[in-house]
Amino acid sequence: MTHGTSEISNKDTNITTKFFRKFKRDIDSQGKDDETVSPSSTEHDRDPLVLMKGITCRFGDLIANENVTFDLIKGEIHALLGENGAGKTTLMSILYGLYQPVSGEIYVRGNRVVIKSPLHAIDLGISMVHQHFLLTPPHSVTENIIVGLKSSGRIFLDTQKAEKKILSLSNKYGLKVDPNAIVGNLSVGEQQRVEIIKALYRDIDILILDEPTGMLTPKEEEALFVVLKSMVNQGLSIIFITHKLREVMEVSDRVTILRNGKVIGTVRRTDTSETELAKMMIGRSFISQISAQNVTHKQAEAILELKNVSALNNSNVLFLKDLSLELRKGEILGIAGVDGNGQSELAEVIAGLRKTHSGQIIMASKPIINLSPRHIREWGLAYVPEDRLHTGLILEYPIAENLVLDRWYAEPYSGKLFLREHEMKEFAEKIISDFDIKITGLNAPVRSMSGGNLQKIVLGRELSRNPKVLVVHNPTRGLDIGATEYIHRQLIKQRDNGVGILLLSLDLDEILSISNRIGVIYEGKIVTIVEREKADVDQIGLLMGGKAAKPNF
Amino acid sequence: MKVQLQKKQVKFITFAPYLSAGFAFVIGAVILSLSGVDPITAYGVMLKGAFGTIRGIADTLVKTTSLLLTGLAVALAFKCRIWNIGAEGQLYMGALGAALAGISVIGVVPIIGVAFALVTGFIFGASFGLVPAVLKVKLGVNEIIVTVLLNFVALLFISYLLHGPIKGPGFNPYSPEIFPQSQLPIILPHTRLHAGIIIAALATIGMYILLSKTKIGFEIKSVGANIKAARYAGMNVSKSILVVMGISGGLAGLAGAILVTGVQHYLIEGISPGYGFIAVIVALLGRQHPVGVAIVAFFFAALISGSEVMYRTLGIPSSFAITLQALVLIFVLVGELFTRLPNYKRGVSI
Repeated sequence: MTHGTSEISNKDTNITTKFFRKFKRDIDSQGKDDETVSPSSTEHDRDPLVLMKGITCRFGDLIANENVTFDLIKGEIHALLGENGAGKTTLMSILYGLYQPVSGEIYVRGNRVVIKSPLHAIDLGISMVHQHFLLTPPHSVTENIIVGLKSSGRIFLDTQKAEKKILSLSNKYGLKVDPNAIVGNLSVGEQQRVEIIKALYRDIDILILDEPTGMLTPKEEEALFVVLKSMVNQGLSIIFITHKLREVMEVSDRVTILRNGKVIGTVRRTDTSETELAKMMIGRSFISQISAQNVTHKQAEAILELKNVSALNNSNVLFLKDLSLELRKGEILGIAGVDGNGQSELAEVIAGLRKTHSGQIIMASKPIINLSPRHIREWGLAYVPEDRLHTGLILEYPIAENLVLDRWYAEPYSGKLFLREHEMKEFAEKIISDFDIKITGLNAPVRSMSGGNLQKIVLGRELSRNPKVLVVHNPTRGLDIGATEYIHRQLIKQRDNGVGILLLSLDLDEILSISNRIGVIYEGKIVTIVEREKADVDQIGLLMGGKAAKPNF
Repeated sequence: MKVQLQKKQVKFITFAPYLSAGFAFVIGAVILSLSGVDPITAYGVMLKGAFGTIRGIADTLVKTTSLLLTGLAVALAFKCRIWNIGAEGQLYMGALGAALAGISVIGVVPIIGVAFALVTGFIFGASFGLVPAVLKVKLGVNEIIVTVLLNFVALLFISYLLHGPIKGPGFNPYSPEIFPQSQLPIILPHTRLHAGIIIAALATIGMYILLSKTKIGFEIKSVGANIKAARYAGMNVSKSILVVMGISGGLAGLAGAILVTGVQHYLIEGISPGYGFIAVIVALLGRQHPVGVAIVAFFFAALISGSEVMYRTLGIPSSFAITLQALVLIFVLVGELFTRLPNYKRGVSI
């Protein structure tokens, strides 16, 4: 035990010194907050800022973390890399005082601590920005930031002082926000900045970011990385939870890879490569890109056509405006776009779940506009909705019932009046083995299953319809690499069978890797559609942000 | 080891509601002693009144019939997430239908006369239940408001009829007595127990089959469990709402029809002491499951018939029964919170 520890600290010292030198340089060039920062950094020169040693955390039978050792050095961005369910968030939740480990020790600034609550963690200078923001939309930025703090005025809120501090933080780190803006009106990227300032406002110097880029556009992502770098330059230390290799390579100084709750290794970014990280993360050779086959699709006939389709959104505002597109047989048409630009409305209009205001939709030479969802399905549509938990499935139901959700009324799953449980179960067993679904029990509610398996149920149901057109919306969002790869393979298999696939996704990498043609949706309109080979990532990024009105690529 | 633990958990959860109901009786005892009545004597009388004599049991079963049918009506609607609070009104309309059928048909064979009255009652109740359903489907009107308000419409409409158009002979606002052919036979001689209990039992079985075995039942359950998913999968939500409210109103109507054909034999203003409202509690406590509803309906029926005897012998106001019902509801719901919340919390931290 002692031996192991000394080994770790030796290695750390080495790295720490190196970082300290870099850090020192940064401070020297900055020259303002030096006095406050630099003595403390000398003090912790030898010890890591945070050391988690031998952490084990169990939930019932599930081991979320097993003997995990993790350290954070002052002034670094330390990426915590792993697939979904690898135990990254659990480990950081322990550090943030949300869970208590079964065993293991935590040292902050060299002192052994038992972190009892998030409040305690903040006292220790640690804060966490969660994947899903914890802001109240109707309130202003300032109100959201000072909520829960004692310092603000006696009876009335002293927002002026707070605003000043917010502005100074905002200037210091380049986090642009308007303290008086209403949070509900802000974009996702801006809301994230508010969350970060909220953490910084509490005078912390260790910031944990849980999958911070999940909902950002490429532009916002870039801006975030700039901010993170400026924060570490000014003395903060950051733990960055992610499962995206590109991000790790872009921002981190060191990377700790977790797999199945165990540490696979900690490496310096400069000593590793994406391929190596991917191997460590998933534990097998990683097929980075499933290439879109070079089949000539230009001759293929259109299977789904939308002509000048307009539709209202949920607030009765005209949201899809004269949208036109053509999907051909045997192709994947990827539609990129920032969330909330009409993707859901587009999918729902095709599936008959949303009334079409005007325009024409023709699927397999039949107008399907405003037909019932069942009618459209029977004519050859399969649809994997964005929200698999609340639209794609009924979580209280067992797997068989979920698999027949769209066909329970037909032979052989039911007769004239009664359901046929035997046939339903048989079908379920077939799909379970075809799609390799890991179930907790044939009669257990699907609620207890993992995201990847739930998506396999939806996909299994939809693909077993033998559709002519398949609409998939964010099919791999929140899934790990293994499940993602599986779903991509399935989509490509369907494409090769001649199915026309409309892929709506927020994940640009996904669109780039499996689409044959790529379109961009912006404010309810398809801005452009190009062949995959001619697609230019920067242009697409700009179009997603609505920057170039008329593209020429 | 783990399985054993789970078994224990399950056992506790199944018994928790009964324990909670027990607490309600303890508080009831405090109220009784505060009003100067010995609670043990009072509960003894109550128990004897409900189960101690053949007459008592018969009376309990008669009340069970009404509570069970209305309870099933409400439970089915709730299962589909339609908040039908209008079972009372639907019951009254059913009673009206049965009374009209019973006084207008002469010279038919008994069985057909009864069946005709019951079917008419069912149809009247169903039509009345369809009013909020159609408003909801076509115009998106909230069914809670409509069903609550329609209760008053039904009660006042029947009051009007009984004071005028269908007033029978005599001073009271009663309808004429229905013909004997339209009366439900007594199945236990020298008591009030009529064949209605058999109908209610059949309805319970029917509801069970409907919900767990049939195609339409699957659709209803799915719409109730997740309306978005049901719509997405191509289910017809409007149809489900109409079918559910039709059956729900019909069952409540049947309860009313049985009150006329089995108990009163004519229509009166206060034919139901609020069965349609107690039904909401019955459906909730029975967790919308037919068997659960049957158990709770029987329990509440015993409570009511027992406290009626308590009133007659000890002079304890019958409103004490209502107090007890409310206490049981509160305790069971709070008890549920305590037994399920720790699990839930554990579930979150897991």
